[in-house]
Amino acid sequence: MRVVLKYTREERVKYISHLDLMRAMQRAVRRADIPVAYSQGFNPHPIMAFASPLPVGVTSQAEYMDIVLEQPMSLPVLRERLNHALPKGIGILDAAVVDDKAPSLMSMVERADYRVTVHGFDWQQVLDAYNERTEILVEKRTKRKVTSVNLKDSIYSLQPDKESRDILYLSLSIGKKGSLPPGAVAEALLKLPEQNDKENGSMVFIHRIGLYCRINGQWTTPLSMKRN
Amino acid sequence: MDRLLLDSIMGQVSKPVRYMGNEYNMVEKNPEDVSIRFAFAFPDVYEVGMSHLGMKILYHLINEREDTYCERVFAPWTDMEEKMRQAGVPLFSLETKTPVSQFDLVGFTLQYEMSYTNLLNMLDLAGIPLLAEDRKEGHPFVIVGGPCAYNPEPLADFVDLVALGEGEEIIVELLDQYAEWKGSGESRREFLERAAQIPGIYVPGFYDVSYLEDGRIRSVKPNNPAAEERVAKRIIRNMDEAYFPDRLILPFMDIVHDRIMLELFRGCTRGCRFCQAGMIYRPIRERTPEKLLEMADKLIRSTGYEELSLASLSSSDYSCLEGLVRQLMERYQDKRVALSLPSLRLDSFEKDYIQEMQKVRKTGLTFAPEAGTQRLRDVINKGVTEEDLFKAVTDAFESGWNGVKLYFMIGLPTETQEDLQGIADLAKGVAQCYYNVDPEKRHKGLKITISTSSFVPKPFTPFQWEAQNTMEELKEKQSFLKKALNLKNIYYNWHDPGTSYMEAVFARGDRRLGKVLLSAWKNGAKFDGWTEHFKMNAWMKAFEENNLQPGFYAHRKREKDEIFPWDHIDVGVSKAYLWKEWERALEGKTTPDCRLDCTGCGIRRLGEGLC
Repeated sequence: MRVVLKYTREERVKYISHLDLMRAMQRAVRRADIPVAYSQGFNPHPIMAFASPLPVGVTSQAEYMDIVLEQPMSLPVLRERLNHALPKGIGILDAAVVDDKAPSLMSMVERADYRVTVHGFDWQQVLDAYNERTEILVEKRTKRKVTSVNLKDSIYSLQPDKESRDILYLSLSIGKKGSLPPGAVAEALLKLPEQNDKENGSMVFIHRIGLYCRINGQWTTPLSMKRN
Repeated sequence: MDRLLLDSIMGQVSKPVRYMGNEYNMVEKNPEDVSIRFAFAFPDVYEVGMSHLGMKILYHLINEREDTYCERVFAPWTDMEEKMRQAGVPLFSLETKTPVSQFDLVGFTLQYEMSYTNLLNMLDLAGIPLLAEDRKEGHPFVIVGGPCAYNPEPLADFVDLVALGEGEEIIVELLDQYAEWKGSGESRREFLERAAQIPGIYVPGFYDVSYLEDGRIRSVKPNNPAAEERVAKRIIRNMDEAYFPDRLILPFMDIVHDRIMLELFRGCTRGCRFCQAGMIYRPIRERTPEKLLEMADKLIRSTGYEELSLASLSSSDYSCLEGLVRQLMERYQDKRVALSLPSLRLDSFEKDYIQEMQKVRKTGLTFAPEAGTQRLRDVINKGVTEEDLFKAVTDAFESGWNGVKLYFMIGLPTETQEDLQGIADLAKGVAQCYYNVDPEKRHKGLKITISTSSFVPKPFTPFQWEAQNTMEELKEKQSFLKKALNLKNIYYNWHDPGTSYMEAVFARGDRRLGKVLLSAWKNGAKFDGWTEHFKMNAWMKAFEENNLQPGFYAHRKREKDEIFPWDHIDVGVSKAYLWKEWERALEGKTTPDCRLDCTGCGIRRLGEGLC
């Protein structure tokens, strides 16, 4: 039985890496005594797959992962037991059973939405500069090489908050088409206006609002993959 | 603490998770609700400190008290330190991010001599005066404990109190005294006087040390009526009744020892003559298998750890090992908890256990013959033979292992070229054992790793009178081994002789070294145990600046009647016994395991009725 879990990663645990998160989840699953399937081999570990690793320092209200249960279990019980066993700051919000043969979460998600806050900064100036440009080249680092890509190809939309203009809503492409880390996008955007009133060293807070897949031409959350 | 400022620097350093806290099983209290705040400080980086069992025990033990909140503090890595100093962020606790200077007591555990500069650096980062004499009312008291605290003299200028021996009871008694003192309006000195009356608490400031012209010690005398002539270490009498936490903090990041450590017993009866732990942790006290199974059960449930190791000085000496291992296997195999047996001794290593271990998960195989020939192994009283080693590795190779690590020491007393050649011969012998195994049965890819550390004479061992080899001698021996071990499938690792030299100086150091420590730290020494940070020049300059010779401490052979800087510390094992063992060593005579027959080490004085 394959189950997709939606969970949060809050401020108090935002500096953990993806590997740290995986380890924490594995141990929580063991503490909660969830009958999960284990991998084979010398170092068996609970089988888990994640939609999209969250960068160190970024918080999120909508992360997704899936686990495989060896015995069926009621979803509310699963949620409660896991929440009891998880470190504070990581919480399961929702769970849904999906088809065993459904594609992996990682291959499904194509869009990630973020809220980027820089206290005292006005994002409107970024938006104006952004709209004037047809191409914004940024360096993209992979293990092997550094390439130059057009930032605009990775951005679905960007919009300052109507009331607090130090908040930017940013919608990025992820997955198959390649993706840029939100921190790098924010840094590149902050450099756009000629007159930058961002004080040197002021913090950029990034929060992931959602991850989305496209099913039948509609943007929807990975939980909608659930078995009917 | 300005959280936004802290956040902004954490966003700029490597592995910020080291400074985050908030791990599962971290103790959360409202600081307003307690009257005593205790900072448990480990003078190394998070992933090293969090691997230490003693800290885990004392952290939860102290937090059992309603009146006290114990929080953790580690040495920030150099990138973090730099940012903290730039931004004016003082050293802070992980739990509540409170500046360490605001705590009542700061307790450092001393696991290794080369962490002393980190202790100074942490006090400085905390804004606490480095010298005990400069601390005033309102400053925290600085306490040290742990194995290096048995000779705390090089740190005498910097610490207020030393806790000797096992901490479970003494820390509670100390906190009781502190609670009484705190509301009393008494002076700092009066607290130290109260503390000095607790058995096992040593206040360095209450002793005067005088020196002979040649630099040796003339005498150590108390200068305060509250101080005893000699301070004896503390021992927990009943390990089943001793406090043990039913949960452990689960680090988010990968740490050095990330597993449940089940402490089967304390002490060791083997009597290896180079081994300080084997002497200072006497007498041997075992937990019952029932207690251990109960502990294992609670810890596995509360942590979700996937690995459990048996942690004792010589775990395979545990009297009920077979039954315990079998029970652990049966209970946890389905839960996929791997069992690992570290520091196995050859002579009690049996094929059965290897196979048991393999049932759940394969762990690395390590052996420590320590010396290359039987003659030298007799000198150091490591009662292991070539036959034992070859039998054990043959069994391992037959059971599917293909990698073995062998640990040796170079520079041991009486060592000759023949003993060094012996290391290479043993390595070749082990390789031959592999090739003697039926190729159908053995796994491909033989890898034999030979590691040599350099012998450091330690206080409270029979070798405390011996000189260490000079760096030149050690380097020569290492080059010899590099050539002799340049063989197929054999890999050789060695330790930096400079680090071993400084370790030897501080292990047997006296109070005059406090000035050297301070100078070395000012010259930039920190994280000296980390090869990439060790700065020999900073140390050599520090000795010059203070007109002291490091060779006096490391390379000098002592006479029988010399007064040692640590003679007023009583670990139970007597100096007379150690001298007798030193003489036997030079005669090449072994001393049997004292489980077989009491060898009269003197511990019975402290641990009456325990062995």
